[in-house]
Amino acid sequence: MATYLDVKLVKYVCSCSKRLPVCRLYLCRHCLKLRCSDCVQHEVDTPYCPNCLENMPTSEAKLRKNRCGSCYDCPGCGHTLMTRASNLTLPDPEDATKTISKKMYYMACSFCRWTTRDVNIEDQSVASGAWQDQENEHAKRINNLLEHYRKLAQKEKAEKERKKYVKRRSHMYYTDKYGLTSVAAARKKTLSSISSLSVKDNEEAVSELEPGKRVEDFAPLPDDIFTKPLELSKMTCMEQRLSTPEFQPANAQKMFPQHKHLLIRKSLRCKECEHNLSKPDFNPLSIKFKIQLIALNHIPEIRIGGPAVFVPNKETRVVLTLNNPQTFDTIVKLLAMDDESGLTTAKIELPKKEMILAKRNDLAGYDDNPVKQDFNDDPSSIAFRNLNKVGVIVKVTPEVEQGDVIVSLTMQHEYRNTTATVGTEDTEPPVVWIEQKVFIKLGTIAEKVK
Amino acid sequence: MAVSARHDRGSIKIAPDAIVCEECTLVGEITIGSRTVVHPKARIIAEAGPIVIGDFNIIEELVTIKNRNTDSSQKAQVLIIGNNNVFEVGADVECLKIGDNNIVESRAHVGSNVELTSGCIIGAMCNVSCNEKLAENTVIYGSNCERRFQRDKPPAQGLQIDFLSKILPNYHHLRKPPKSQKA
Ligand SMILES: [Zn+2]
Ligand SMILES: [Zn+2]
Ligand SMILES: [Zn+2]
Ligand SMILES: [Zn+2]
Repeated sequence: MATYLDVKLVKYVCSCSKRLPVCRLYLCRHCLKLRCSDCVQHEVDTPYCPNCLENMPTSEAKLRKNRCGSCYDCPGCGHTLMTRASNLTLPDPEDATKTISKKMYYMACSFCRWTTRDVNIEDQSVASGAWQDQENEHAKRINNLLEHYRKLAQKEKAEKERKKYVKRRSHMYYTDKYGLTSVAAARKKTLSSISSLSVKDNEEAVSELEPGKRVEDFAPLPDDIFTKPLELSKMTCMEQRLSTPEFQPANAQKMFPQHKHLLIRKSLRCKECEHNLSKPDFNPLSIKFKIQLIALNHIPEIRIGGPAVFVPNKETRVVLTLNNPQTFDTIVKLLAMDDESGLTTAKIELPKKEMILAKRNDLAGYDDNPVKQDFNDDPSSIAFRNLNKVGVIVKVTPEVEQGDVIVSLTMQHEYRNTTATVGTEDTEPPVVWIEQKVFIKLGTIAEKVK
Repeated sequence: MAVSARHDRGSIKIAPDAIVCEECTLVGEITIGSRTVVHPKARIIAEAGPIVIGDFNIIEELVTIKNRNTDSSQKAQVLIIGNNNVFEVGADVECLKIGDNNIVESRAHVGSNVELTSGCIIGAMCNVSCNEKLAENTVIYGSNCERRFQRDKPPAQGLQIDFLSKILPNYHHLRKPPKSQKA
């Protein structure tokens, strides 16, 4: 799978002029341009929990600090905790000679074997939902601060709106020359009402906040700090502490299960035409996409057929393979490219004739007697054909004495524009030509044998 | 070769109720205790000295337990494995002393200078080869072989042994204990 392993060798030029491997690109079928993740709009579809796969509305996720209410991570290693049941035998309250067994639940990490029993959290009688969260001692202060800044933001917004309002009124004042007096009066009135409403109220509220307290001095270190041997197994490491910034336990006994972070499903949108390039299914259980316009499914993929030895200023024959992902026979033209970037270090001689790439047929590999298609290939430019793949012979002459051999070319190919025929099913979608710029790093110049 | 010369079936002692599949490799002087399960393709090689395996152990596929002589100047030592230990798929164990209730997870490597006491867990792919005696209930996990101590020993695998003892004979030939032992 050269597509995914040596992805850095063959790079296509995105519409934003970044050079990226084809598997990282999208093809907008409305603009017919390549897009990469840097030049599309990323949108949050919905947060979801990666463990229980429950969708959560964005507003609720914000309230819950983007964490799942029922799934937990191990505070020691970050692995998801599993709920385990254990049987507890209790004496029967009605008949002292009998015992009843009761299911009790605790949580355990299957990776580092941490359990809630390790830190003396009591077992629960229900499997989920009963775990008490830790109380943050600074919660009140944080809420006060949040409230304060919310009010500040409100005030700012009100002021901005007031300015806008004033501007508009004054604008009207000038245009509406003839009703001058009434407008001016009205303006005065609204202005005063706004200022009395928004500014005064907020100024009062905003000044409420008590300032933060400065820490004057710390308790000195205990005397035995240098003499007492460290017990590393009872300490937490930096990662463990920072995974709960509000508590930062130093002692392993203070570790507490952490609510699992939510992930998001995101969709991508073309910034130019605002159509979706990628939209996942709403259900987090599904790995399908409603829309997925990755370039790999639409654009012939160029790979390097095999290694070659390069010598400065000497022509070398190289085979490039072209792979057709489209389900119809596609005509492809390879053209020289004016490289303005200066990356190209070798001259490339391309086949002059256009060629046909056979259509992709997923069942072709299972056909016992495949129909051999004849494309009237020129043996001097076509090395081989295999299903939807074709090997193209090019001649490369390095123009540098050492370093990488990089060639550039333009590939023009047919593309069936499916958006043009939405609603009209009888007609075949019109075929358009689109053009890709490609940079290929073929190898390095061979070391001279001394 | 000294190894092959020592390979005689008489020196392998298997308890009558142990489940030892025939497709496993047993070389040298080996004793396998009661209710211990040895899966097919496990390799137990008593190269430098005898290997004694206790009761209620599970030795899974592709596990290698080897008594290897690292220092030829020393006398041959006996590799002793206690009870209720689990060696998961592909574990590689050379250490000479293993206590009870230990788990060596998949593809983990335990070198010959290590001693496992009891309740220890060597996590998947962890490599332990320093000269040390692991304290009880040590857990080694993760790609950096981080350590911690757990409160409880891992539970015994009684149910799993019952299940394997029922299922394995349906699909595999078992090694019968030699007749000389039955008397
Ligand atoms: Zn881009
Ligand atoms: Zn969840
Ligand atoms: Zn853990
Ligand atoms: Zn677009």
